[in-house]
Amino acid sequence: MTTHQESQSPSTSEGMGLFERFLSLWVALAIVAGVLLGQFAPAIPETLSRYEYAQVSIPVAVLIWAMIFPMMAQIDFTAILGVRRQPKGLVITTTVNWLIKPFTMFAIAWFFLTVVFAPLIPAERASQYLAGAILLGAAPCTAMVFVWSYLTRGDAAYTLVQVAVNDLIMLFAFAPIVVFLLGVSNIQVPWDTVALSVVLYIVIPLAAGYLTRRTLIARRGIEWYDNVFMKKVGPITPIGLIITLVLLFAFQGEVILEAPLHIVLIAIPLIIQTFLIFFIAYGWAKAWKVPHNVAAPGAMIGASNFFELAVAAAIALFGLQSGAALATVVGVLVEVPLMLALVRIANKTRHHFPEAGAPADDAATTSEARG
Amino acid sequence: MAIEVTDRAREWLQQLGGVATVRLSPRHGCCGGGADIVVAEARAPDEPARYTPVQLPGLTLYIDPTLVDQGLRVDVEGFLGLRHLFVDGASPTRSKE
Repeated sequence: MTTHQESQSPSTSEGMGLFERFLSLWVALAIVAGVLLGQFAPAIPETLSRYEYAQVSIPVAVLIWAMIFPMMAQIDFTAILGVRRQPKGLVITTTVNWLIKPFTMFAIAWFFLTVVFAPLIPAERASQYLAGAILLGAAPCTAMVFVWSYLTRGDAAYTLVQVAVNDLIMLFAFAPIVVFLLGVSNIQVPWDTVALSVVLYIVIPLAAGYLTRRTLIARRGIEWYDNVFMKKVGPITPIGLIITLVLLFAFQGEVILEAPLHIVLIAIPLIIQTFLIFFIAYGWAKAWKVPHNVAAPGAMIGASNFFELAVAAAIALFGLQSGAALATVVGVLVEVPLMLALVRIANKTRHHFPEAGAPADDAATTSEARG
Repeated sequence: MAIEVTDRAREWLQQLGGVATVRLSPRHGCCGGGADIVVAEARAPDEPARYTPVQLPGLTLYIDPTLVDQGLRVDVEGFLGLRHLFVDGASPTRSKE
């Protein structure tokens, strides 16, 4: 079935608001603000960092929950009931996100950060950046993929399914993949620290989001939940992200001032990885003759990352001052320009893919109605 | 064509009271912005006056006016006795927020 919606993709300028279109600028401004804060008012971040419980910084935990909870609260797990509708798309997405992406991220980041850039980055620092890249590679996109799907005229129902499936897998796969790849990199992180960060920043927000969703929908209805509650809660994520970045860079000021080139060096493997993952999934989808409205969002979810989780895990495992945290932020810095480039590629190559047809189960007969 | 409903979806909906709502559900991006996703639910809308009613034999659909004549198809899917409606043929749209 081809609808008039599929006939023309929106332009990227039409498709994104001011905030997300210029996210790189806001992140850059947050870096500057954080560095200035750390240099001229160091008492503020130092005071905030003192509020700890069980070695968990309370202000940081609150900011991280503010970033992650809204994204978890909008996940509709009933979408998993559609898991059999686009099996090729889900096989590609799941395989690329969980069996390929974390390992190519590790390989590319290791090669560039510890081999190619070895003369430019001290070994210990490179190891920290590699850890940040590993955290990014293990966290596929969970929310922005709806925007990328819109910009490429993706299949809305399929996008919902793939997000729900990936979020469920992430719950179980994130920690083992991260621990394994950090171990391969000789970066020692105690299992209990990883487990604590997974519980704090995945399990608790996910459970809170699910319970909030179930409870409020039961009491007030799904339309109120979508149009009133989520309308207020949804925008908290990017606000939490920016405040976290300011705080993070208040601790990173020395590194940024001493070695600003490191941001560029970290960005290079992340950019290569983003394009590689997109083309693996997109090319695979083309080979399997997957319709474009499934191929595009299927490739976008792996190319994009769940930055809030990566930033949270980096802070939890290595601290605000760590190179790992800095590396995850570089991911945020390059995200939107990169993804918009991929959106343009996807829209320009649409004609190479089969058009969306009737669903796999064509035996379904239909009734037609007019308003 | 306003909207299609598969026979199996219609039969399932009739067992649940014969009413469904097709609407836009906003999803927020983690980096800001968002998109509206077309969803279908086996229930009457909170404010029916804001929807376009569509009559089928034994079934009343309430459709968001912006989704009429989009060539959409409502179907039902699931497994292990769990089922839900989905809308085929819809792309996300620009969030109005």
